[in-house]
Amino acid sequence: MSVDLRSAFFYSRKDIFKNIKIFIIITLSIILATANIIVINGLIDGMIEDLVDNTVESSVGHLNIYPDNNERFIEGIGIKEQRLATLKEVEAYSPRISATGVLSNKELSVSSTILALDPDKERKTTKLLEKLVRGAAVNPNDKNAILVSSRLAEDLKLDVGDEATLAFENGIIKVYNVKGIIRTGNLDFDSSTVIMPMDEAYRQLAIDNMASIILVKLSDKSMSEIYKPMIMQNLDVNNIRTWEEETEFVSNFANSWRSISSIISGVGLIAAAISVGIVIYINIIHKKRQIGIMKAIGTSNAFIFTVFLMEAAIFGVIGVFIGDSVGYLAIKYFEANPFLDAISQTWISARFEPQLFYIATIFSFGVTILAGVYPAIKASRVEIIKAIWGT
Amino acid sequence: MEIIKTSNLKKSYMLGNVEVKALNGVDTSIEQGEFVAIMGPSGCGKSTFLNLTGMLDTPTSGEIYLEGKDVTNMNSNMRAEYRLKYMGFVFQFFNLFNELTVMENVMFPMMLNKRSNYKERAKELLNLVGLGDRLNHLPSELSGGQQQRVTIARSLANDPKILLADEPTGNLDTASSIEIIELFRKLNQEQGQTIVMVTHSPEIGGMTDRIIHFRDGTIEH
Repeated sequence: MSVDLRSAFFYSRKDIFKNIKIFIIITLSIILATANIIVINGLIDGMIEDLVDNTVESSVGHLNIYPDNNERFIEGIGIKEQRLATLKEVEAYSPRISATGVLSNKELSVSSTILALDPDKERKTTKLLEKLVRGAAVNPNDKNAILVSSRLAEDLKLDVGDEATLAFENGIIKVYNVKGIIRTGNLDFDSSTVIMPMDEAYRQLAIDNMASIILVKLSDKSMSEIYKPMIMQNLDVNNIRTWEEETEFVSNFANSWRSISSIISGVGLIAAAISVGIVIYINIIHKKRQIGIMKAIGTSNAFIFTVFLMEAAIFGVIGVFIGDSVGYLAIKYFEANPFLDAISQTWISARFEPQLFYIATIFSFGVTILAGVYPAIKASRVEIIKAIWGT
Repeated sequence: MEIIKTSNLKKSYMLGNVEVKALNGVDTSIEQGEFVAIMGPSGCGKSTFLNLTGMLDTPTSGEIYLEGKDVTNMNSNMRAEYRLKYMGFVFQFFNLFNELTVMENVMFPMMLNKRSNYKERAKELLNLVGLGDRLNHLPSELSGGQQQRVTIARSLANDPKILLADEPTGNLDTASSIEIIELFRKLNQEQGQTIVMVTHSPEIGGMTDRIIHFRDGTIEH
């Protein structure tokens, strides 16, 4: 005896909508669980992408050329820059020098990282110099001007226009004027960095035509793995890291957040499933006699099972559809209205990926159906005589 | 023509460790078109007999024949299909589907049976039981007598050959009870419906063609 789906749907629909308050509560729990999956994951995806973008834009290039192992500097950067300039995939590049020093203001002193760069090349390669919070950027020819990172400036009570003493690693000490305060959102960078023009660093460190790193900006950052061997060959260098490798720490951080979001989504789904299951189960207990009558007039066990599973499916279809829509609208809102992360001082927005939609739909609907299986089995096994006579 | 026949029908239940014999070898025969009352004291097996002949329950032993066919060992799906197509039930407690309107309650068995003109047929049946003006009411908006009439209309939905009624007037006042029995009589006479009705009331029983008396799980001769 086949199950007449039309009749099953007819009865399920009538049964579900007989109590509109219960219907709204159940549907709401599915809506929230579904939207929760989309919003939480969309926000985390957005946060991770923004973090990566921010890190890549301010601290690393798409490809970063390092000195060979056991070497401190890349030598002969003039020729390397010329070769980079001939590669059409390379949009810009910026050599940097890294050194250590101690920055002091009166009796306060803090160990610092000296970052020397060519402001013009840096502007074409990263957005580091756009992260000024006060003052102005250094010029290539500045001999007495430095930029101080925000936390370092706070620790040394420095501000724009103040004088600070910088002791280089080779023992040279020089007084500089603080031209600007910079904040990137990277805690390490912001707590200890002094930025100065490349030529001034060359003078004080008594070196030339060298760099600690060359940042390379590509026309398409997704092609970094492909261009890496080509640049290694062209520049005769062995130590290049892509932006993905440089931001690996963000991926680890992202995985932790994704685990947390899975737990949050899972809890939401379980809560929705329990409420759907309980409501259908209680409904079945309350209408045991009616189920008995339904069987007495000629419905099969399979029909009863289908009726109550269909109720779960109707809850699922309506709840998931609205939940998907609410989740989508929320993500679009956060995309259009990013919020400022107080810790990293970066703007964070959400991202909508179609697979979020599929995941939310499949999981929410699947869990809702599963929640209906046990009550539906219980209903189908109701014994007619016991049900009708309430024994 | 014999439409219901039972042979040495027995049914026993376990009540804890004690075996209770609800039916203890019932042999009976009901002709097509008969209006029969089953009577007897409480616990004599009347309802058990009705449940077994209505294929709502299975006997411990013995045989049941409907239209000459042995239906004793039919599986649950076949029994459900048989009930849907050939039987109608009226119970003491009106047992309507509360979420469905009067019309939908009557339509529902026809939808299950995949009949095409179920709306017209439902209206026709509700007119027959005098509720043509209550089609869109919910059961909770009707009196007990009216609800029982809806149940009767529903039991007739698929033109069953056998109508089984278990104390259909048990919860009704005298006027409503007489109305229901007159309706049964009308169906029996005009449509040739075979009706088997359990009742406690000698007055109601007296309005049928024949009374079968039960006592202690057997037929009293």
